[in-house]
Amino acid sequence: MADSHTFVLPNSGHNFDAKASKMGMWLFLFTELLLFGGLFLVYIIYRYLNQDAFLLASFELNVWMGTINTIVLLTSSMTIAMAITALQKGNAKLAITLSWLTILAALSFLVIKYFEWSSKFEHGLFPGMDHFDGLPLGERLYFYLYFFMTGLHALHVIVGGVFIAVVIRLIKKEKVTKERYSLLENSGLYWHLVDLIWIYLFPLFYLIH
Amino acid sequence: MNGKEKITENTSTHEHISSYAEHFGTWVALILLTLMTVFISTFGADLRTLTVATALLIATVKALAVALYFMHLKYDAKIYRAWMIIVMALFVFFLFMVTLDYITR
Repeated sequence: MADSHTFVLPNSGHNFDAKASKMGMWLFLFTELLLFGGLFLVYIIYRYLNQDAFLLASFELNVWMGTINTIVLLTSSMTIAMAITALQKGNAKLAITLSWLTILAALSFLVIKYFEWSSKFEHGLFPGMDHFDGLPLGERLYFYLYFFMTGLHALHVIVGGVFIAVVIRLIKKEKVTKERYSLLENSGLYWHLVDLIWIYLFPLFYLIH
Repeated sequence: MNGKEKITENTSTHEHISSYAEHFGTWVALILLTLMTVFISTFGADLRTLTVATALLIATVKALAVALYFMHLKYDAKIYRAWMIIVMALFVFFLFMVTLDYITR
């Protein structure tokens, strides 16, 4: 049995399989697509049934803050993609710097989101607040979806940031290297998914005109 | 060098390495598309239904750029692109069928 194929015990630390781990990551990303997909479906139907209310409610959002956040996320997608290039070329130091820049962008995104949400709270636009409860159903549905979808997305931004921080630590410990960069690549894939979802959230919530 | 890459293709994790310039170029395209979609929706307000379609079209072009270049799908093994096409086709089909069902009641 041990002639041509070397058998390695699971969890022995020697069963590294870059291709399998990448495929696993992609399968996971597809389940993420379905998670958000259900919400997009709800959005499509309710927007179709409440077109004017959705338009009216969307005027409450700040298009410029949304645009800045889109640019921040796109930039962070570029830096994490470049971090993978850097590590593949053997420049671990640059990979770490670029990963930190990605985390910095993630934090900036969350700070901007915080200001956006705060201004909604100040205007009483959160489920349970008096002003919100007095709005017509269509506008309430818009804000339910807005808070749920951007909230779930922000949660993914946090998870992605933590994932990248863990990978930075492992690059420093030389567990993630030029020869073995799967984990950085997978954290990158996750980060791009976060970006992909925002690419659709942005026009659907901010750009109804 | 080309021959060596072919030999190590199946055994090594090293495959195509995207250049910094390519990532930067993708970023420039994405930013331009973002500014374009904002511009169209803010200043082209008369074309209401058209802007929804345009916004989604631009978003899809952006998503493709992210998937092909940043997520490396363009250079990865065919299986990833095949998966992507199948999953997206099913996904869009489900969205379409459920929406159709709902709005024709």
